[in-house]
Amino acid sequence: MTHRVVLTGLGAVSSIGMGVTEFTAGLLAGRSGAKDITSFDTTGFDFARGCEVPDFDPKDWIEKVPIDTIGKATQFAVAGARMAINDAGVDLDWLRSRRGLVSIGTTDGESNELDKMVGVELESGRAAVSATAARKIPATRLSLAIAREFGLVDVEATTIGTACAAGNYAVGYGFDVVRGGEVDFALCGGADAICRKTFTGFYRLGTIAPDNCRPFDKDRKGILHGEGAGVLLLETLESAQARGARIYAEVLGYGLNCDAHHQVAPNQDGVAKCMRLALDNAGLDPSQVDLISAHGTGTKANDVTECGAIHDVYGSAPPRTVSLKSMLGHTMGAASALAAIASALAIRNGFVFPTINHVETDPECAIDCVPNEAIAADLNVVQNNGMAFGGNNASVILGKYPVAA
Amino acid sequence: MSATGPVITAWAAVSPFGTDRKNFLDGMAAGRPAASTSKPEDGVVPGEHGFVVPNFAIREILGRKGTRMMDRVAALTITAVGQIFDAGEPGNAPEGTGLVLGTTTGSIWGAMDFTRTSMLAELPYHVEPGRMPGGVMNCAAGHCAIWYQLTGPNTTLANGRPSGLIALRYVRRLLARGRANTALVGSVEEYSLDRSWLEYNARDGAPGPLGEGACLFLLENPGSVSPDRTPLAELCSVSSRVYLEDDPRSSMHACVLDALTEAGVEAADVSIVAPSGFTGAAGEYESEVLDGLFGRVRPQWVDVAGLIGDTGAVSSSFQVAAALGLAGDRPGVAVVTSVDADGTIACAVFRLFGVQT
Repeated sequence: MTHRVVLTGLGAVSSIGMGVTEFTAGLLAGRSGAKDITSFDTTGFDFARGCEVPDFDPKDWIEKVPIDTIGKATQFAVAGARMAINDAGVDLDWLRSRRGLVSIGTTDGESNELDKMVGVELESGRAAVSATAARKIPATRLSLAIAREFGLVDVEATTIGTACAAGNYAVGYGFDVVRGGEVDFALCGGADAICRKTFTGFYRLGTIAPDNCRPFDKDRKGILHGEGAGVLLLETLESAQARGARIYAEVLGYGLNCDAHHQVAPNQDGVAKCMRLALDNAGLDPSQVDLISAHGTGTKANDVTECGAIHDVYGSAPPRTVSLKSMLGHTMGAASALAAIASALAIRNGFVFPTINHVETDPECAIDCVPNEAIAADLNVVQNNGMAFGGNNASVILGKYPVAA
Repeated sequence: MSATGPVITAWAAVSPFGTDRKNFLDGMAAGRPAASTSKPEDGVVPGEHGFVVPNFAIREILGRKGTRMMDRVAALTITAVGQIFDAGEPGNAPEGTGLVLGTTTGSIWGAMDFTRTSMLAELPYHVEPGRMPGGVMNCAAGHCAIWYQLTGPNTTLANGRPSGLIALRYVRRLLARGRANTALVGSVEEYSLDRSWLEYNARDGAPGPLGEGACLFLLENPGSVSPDRTPLAELCSVSSRVYLEDDPRSSMHACVLDALTEAGVEAADVSIVAPSGFTGAAGEYESEVLDGLFGRVRPQWVDVAGLIGDTGAVSSSFQVAAALGLAGDRPGVAVVTSVDADGTIACAVFRLFGVQT
């Protein structure tokens, strides 16, 4: 027996707002999270802009797990989960008395803590690293800390390390497990914290923009490193209806595949195939899709490849195609989870969030990226793309609930 | 042999006993610890010893093409998969084959050394760009997909010691949902000085020596098995739960019962038990729970960690391989359990077909 799966709780930890209300306001305003990076010493880099979560105080969100025992990405994940639980209007007894899945995707896990560890090693030697610092590292803690914080034992806790598409992998996994009736709820999403290692890597690859992220623009200069968490509460339609929950959107399907082509460069055929797999899984024709929330990193390699794939699937007049990364930067493992949240909010509230910092669309992209200002729109179906190093793709399809007559 | 669940039709192990499955089987059958090393150049913390895969020089084993920047995690994985698909000739994997790989945190060396290079360089971006993907956890799975043209679902699960079992459950669901018909599933861990120090600094109580390796299985829907492959075992169930400090035993007990119930198996039916052998407190609770459930049944107990050390994320996959291998031609039911220090307990139940592996 399979169930319909709906989104009833959303938690957004982002550079443009905390929680649904602020995040929605940020999306509607086309707010930018870009500032100078303060998470690590940026001396020696010619530029170091990024999208950090401002004024994050873990004590506002985390009560049970000792804060000094978990790294920043894990703190973001727990904060996002608390927001999603509160937003869904379920109490902890409800969660604890049901079987659940906790699945958090990440690119870097606690690499920020690893970076600090290398600093201690170079300063004082390897033996100077404390046990508390060393124990923060295993990436499994991103999902386990959520279970610990809320006292959930009858849950499967799984951290998905499929890099920059990991948020969609986690949401897709939650979809399959809830759909199959194996669990009653799923807390799924992604989390990452800005770290020196990844900033340095992208900088060295020449893919970091010096100022702003301009996806699909002919003068794009690359990505901005971002951070945050997106956590979504998934449950069956019957469960949501039984407790009178607000339903943001229905998860209609997803697809995942691998380019098997290049470690770093995306592949147009692989991305197109993934988008088709998602549409097939949802039982939809491309003509039924109203909006594409693109991976949209703001590098030429991504934008041209992804738009090529979109044209392969959708033909010469694809639906509006927007990039949340223009506002949030690339939040890595959180990216497609935050984009899924943005997509659900767009469906629920009838708007399309814009691609900001946009001046002139690259003719090689040839899409309507909804430049700079949000627009009102009635959306029935949104396709949310995530792509990662390793040729790992995942695409999630969300739909309006109830379906328009 | 009428399996309804997915079946294992092939497996490979690159272990401290040697680079192939036969080395692993012979080593497990002999029941003597693998040769250990105490050389810092092998990545061992001074004063300790550990178990590395012997003579594992990446470029000698995999050739010079495409391996210049390859880390040990990726190389161990590619080597193992090569033993499943006919000497590793690309193109031998069925179309759309998936790969689900368990890890702790990818290559700790790859991540830390990238930052170390940056911090020691004259300018912080004087790093080797080709080393960047190696600092991300999905590097090995991506490399392996390119090497063998695996275009199906490709997922990296970072669940530490139990990740081999968590990966089996993930693939079970992929197969059940039709997202793949055939998938490679397993896990990998490398020995490095960085991992060694990390574990040393994090350790709680009496430490055990570390080990490394890669171990993968080919898991298929029973209807998709090609005539040239023989089902070796059926994956009947996988369960996992979270344990909290206040009552770890009850979570572990419930987890094992979940798996037995789903598999439709009684404790008395179990012929092989392969526990994690984890040396921390969680390992002691696990032993107590297993003793309570199976002590009177007297199945064969399989000790992997005692022979090749704490192999981290690959430990649970090695346990499955050991159960398959030690069963030999005797049909039976195997229970494999895994715990970590962070709060995960997992259990898998297999029906062994008594086919010599």
